[in-house]
Amino acid sequence: MGQIFFQTQNLTMQFGGLVAVHNFSIKIEPHEIIGLIGPNGAGKTTVFNMITGNLIPTSGKIIWLDRDITALQPHYITTLGIARTFQNIRLFGNLSVLDNVMVSYHHRLKSSFWDAMLRTRRYRSEEKHIREEAFRILTMVGLDHFAREPASSLPYGQQRKLEIARALATNPKLLLLDEPAAGMNPQETLELARFVRSLRDSFDLTLIVIEHDMKFVMGLCERIVVLVYGHTIAEGRPEDIQHHPEVIKAYLGEKRHARY
Amino acid sequence: MDKGLKKTILNISAIGLLFFALWLFDRYGTEYHVRILNNIAVFIILAVSYNLVNGICGVLHLGPNAFITIGAYTSALLTMSPAEKKISFIIEPLIWPLSVIQVPFWMSLIIAGLVSTVFAFLISYPVFRVRGDYLAIVTLGFGEVVRVLCNALQGVTNGPLGLKGLKPYTNLWWSWAIAVITIVVIQRLINSSWGRAMKAIREDEIAAKAMGIDPFRHLLMAFLINAFFSGVAGGLLAHLITTISPTLFTFFLTFNLLMIIVVGGLGSTTGAVIGATLFAWGSEALRIVESPMQIGSLYIPGIPGMRMVIFSVILMVVIIFARKGIMGQREFSWDWVFAKIKRKHT
Repeated sequence: MGQIFFQTQNLTMQFGGLVAVHNFSIKIEPHEIIGLIGPNGAGKTTVFNMITGNLIPTSGKIIWLDRDITALQPHYITTLGIARTFQNIRLFGNLSVLDNVMVSYHHRLKSSFWDAMLRTRRYRSEEKHIREEAFRILTMVGLDHFAREPASSLPYGQQRKLEIARALATNPKLLLLDEPAAGMNPQETLELARFVRSLRDSFDLTLIVIEHDMKFVMGLCERIVVLVYGHTIAEGRPEDIQHHPEVIKAYLGEKRHARY
Repeated sequence: MDKGLKKTILNISAIGLLFFALWLFDRYGTEYHVRILNNIAVFIILAVSYNLVNGICGVLHLGPNAFITIGAYTSALLTMSPAEKKISFIIEPLIWPLSVIQVPFWMSLIIAGLVSTVFAFLISYPVFRVRGDYLAIVTLGFGEVVRVLCNALQGVTNGPLGLKGLKPYTNLWWSWAIAVITIVVIQRLINSSWGRAMKAIREDEIAAKAMGIDPFRHLLMAFLINAFFSGVAGGLLAHLITTISPTLFTFFLTFNLLMIIVVGGLGSTTGAVIGATLFAWGSEALRIVESPMQIGSLYIPGIPGMRMVIFSVILMVVIIFARKGIMGQREFSWDWVFAKIKRKHT
């Protein structure tokens, strides 16, 4: 038996009497793109918050590279190679676009505090390297022209891209995207899907994507998990999910109204 | 010429110019001028380092007066001679090791900074378990605790009697050299990867954590550095005023510092320097308003505290009309100066 790449075992989150997520179990292999869908309030973001350590699960376990990472500190989980974006954009608004990305390199900084204070050659060359790397990522997402602008001045769609760029800069192996296509028009959504797939290949990523845009999810993901009221009601390939009676009933509406 | 080299030369000449001006004041200025300049320097140290916590990290820390007090007492107890201490501590003698130690002024300042840092470290865990208003209250409470302890620990602080007759070691050179060092250290920190991480925490702590930044470590770092410089400034103040008592550095001082950095522009070192200068100079210059006045037929008797009313009005005006203060989050830079000069020439 090989290494467990990523697995959750019976993850449950209870807020008082409300069970937000119930026995969520999933196993992910490297290089997969997983879609996490479900109606509003199904507990999708809660799953992300548990994986990234923002919420401590009531019960259950999260295994990452053979290691139990349940309830570790969020910043520590990031250093282990799990990055995320936020549904409600959380950029560092007053910092420049470039600085937003450069922040993500801080946890891998090799220079010591005293190197930085004394501006040693080691620190200066590392800072220069980080700046170049950050710029490279910005160029990739097409934000290099805005590098010096404050992040809050970007239009909405660009802010979403910056969120992804910033998460990529932390050097993740597993990337969690929370509604990356929200507020994008069909054309942009199509481009985003292409972009996400290219990221997977160039950064050797594994992705979990929460998204409401069915076209996007069905086109992008190789496997889809459907959550309804915290319960996993279906899991499988996009084609199977589209025809799954439970899913159609709970999420996509009656069959004759379904778009697929 | 290389741009970096050019700026270094300009920085060094600016500092040279500053010290030449100080030399002139030291030589030809009145005692009044020298006192104002010393005050300005001390307030620059306090405001610039305080700005690191409040402006850069975005944490409402209301206890710098505690660290100033600790620094002032530490430094004062270390520079007084054993004989002086014996005379001062009349109600209860000073406890043993302190009663015989006497160190040079510069060493007492460093120790004052370190002792403040140790106290900051001790309270850091409860402080950074909470955020926002709660953190403000915890730090505010610590300031009060220190005041009460200073009153109660007769054997260490001489209680309400305070320490009198300290040697006026603080001169223009000490205060301004330390002010320059503070600005350089804080600026280097802010413009490093650490400073960037601190700003990220200010902007959005949850996102900062998701980018791999440990908030506790970075906030602690800023808090300790602030405590160190507050302690050193406390030592300078003690040897400037030459008399310290538990009621000397109250929350009122913290409030003044807060006013300085808000008016200067939260998060801007340049703003903190401007704010400190205006405040220290203003509080002397505005003494006129507290003296009796005759405007036409109207006679106004001297009202002590009028200065604070004026400062409060200024603060309100700034908050209403220039919410980001004088500098906002901008900084002075030579590039900006070059750009200005260039525009004038074309």
